[in-house]
Amino acid sequence: MLIPAFLFAMFAGVAIGCAVGMVFHRNPVHCALLLVGVLLSISGLFILLNASFLAALQVLVYAGAIMVLFLFVLMLLNIRGESPLLTRGAAKGFGILFAIVVFVELLWTVLSPQVEPGGMAASPSVPRSFGSPAAIGRVLYTVWLYPFEITSILLLIAVIGAVVLAKRKFG
Amino acid sequence: MDIAFLIESLAKVLIVLGFVLLGVPLIVWMERKVLGHMQDRIGPERVGPFGLLQTIADGIKLFMKEDLVPAQADKVVFILAPAITVITALVALTVIPWGDQVTILGRTVPLHIADVNVALLFVLATTSMGVYGIVLGGWASNSKYPLLGGLRSSAQMISYELAQGISLVSVVLLAGTLSLAQIARQQAHMWYVVPQFFGFLIYVISGIAETNRAPFDLPEAETELVAGFHTEYSSMKWAFYFLGEYANMMVVSGIAITVFLGGWHGPVLPSVAWFLIKLTLFLFFYIWLRATFPRLRYDQLMGFGWKVLLPASLLNLVVTAAVVAL
Repeated sequence: MLIPAFLFAMFAGVAIGCAVGMVFHRNPVHCALLLVGVLLSISGLFILLNASFLAALQVLVYAGAIMVLFLFVLMLLNIRGESPLLTRGAAKGFGILFAIVVFVELLWTVLSPQVEPGGMAASPSVPRSFGSPAAIGRVLYTVWLYPFEITSILLLIAVIGAVVLAKRKFG
Repeated sequence: MDIAFLIESLAKVLIVLGFVLLGVPLIVWMERKVLGHMQDRIGPERVGPFGLLQTIADGIKLFMKEDLVPAQADKVVFILAPAITVITALVALTVIPWGDQVTILGRTVPLHIADVNVALLFVLATTSMGVYGIVLGGWASNSKYPLLGGLRSSAQMISYELAQGISLVSVVLLAGTLSLAQIARQQAHMWYVVPQFFGFLIYVISGIAETNRAPFDLPEAETELVAGFHTEYSSMKWAFYFLGEYANMMVVSGIAITVFLGGWHGPVLPSVAWFLIKLTLFLFFYIWLRATFPRLRYDQLMGFGWKVLLPASLLNLVVTAAVVAL
């Protein structure tokens, strides 16, 4: 049990470190890179939780595709010191509000009776196929079919919307 | 986690690493020789027999050169970028099976470093991370040609990654598994290139674009962008980009062999020998293409990726799914 615990500490530590760095760094490209670091360490945590399929998708979709597009935009615009969207006071207020909401949410999840305290030690009861592509696919196309299809239609709408906005002639 | 397993894994890691580090100079030598003969020249011949040590000499020269970082560059990212290129390529190589399992001292040893049950996705994920090496190198140089080269390559790699992934999904539908070791094992009697010839073509084309090789080597088009993303790089950092590019060629060839060309299967000779023969032939094909085709124009390249290759791969996927379902 020593090696998983060590790996968990490493991934969690890197994730938190990168997240803190992302918030405090000035340069937007460095922030984006630190976010990639967060995403990669979270995919490491997924592997520790026996969800290798999710881990691969996390890297492929978020770190590999979405963050590259983020970087693309940041580089093309070359923003060095961006102008803030909110005033300092309002931003602080929203920050505190969201922090409280997330904290309460996490606390509620951790304390709810379905999850045993110390989830790592309680893991051997998980079936072998848990988190495999086949298991996820089966659940996705049976139990969660409608939400899945609705999400894909939503994404299609977003794509068409982006094309329409980009093609519109201004002036 | 016993000691034998640890030693076995370590040995395999060292073998693959050594193979890449020794193989890349050999491929470069082969490339220069083959290109030379195709263009009616003789290629390198002075250093060592047949010029074999020429690339080693070049490597030593690069190692000895002064390590320059441009004054306006983003130093950390500038140094990090070439490392990312090499690391992602090496990590992707860990899941490619290069032989049948062998028995050593009563232990069955499968000839790949790790058998991940989502190996194919793992390779796609690591190669998609490889884009960062090039984009960041271009950006961190803080100079216009590298930036343009980096942006071009990121757009190109994202576009072609889609067609590449979808062409592989068709084989996954036939094989019913994402594990590369199992896909290779299933091809004892028929290679997947036979039912999936169309998918194979799409994979090869997008694989060449993915590794930024001619005729898709737009990120480093010297007539318009000097040397593209690595204009500001010199000495060992430049050599790392070079190493990464050739290691990536090995990854793309290795996946093509494992998924479409029967993996390590072949008559008479041992499995590792067959893998190496196929790898050499595939790399020769790469070089052959470079000697044959002129570079595409950038808009043609993007148009071809999105308007031809992606719909073609989707069509291939739909037809394959229909056949599998019937």
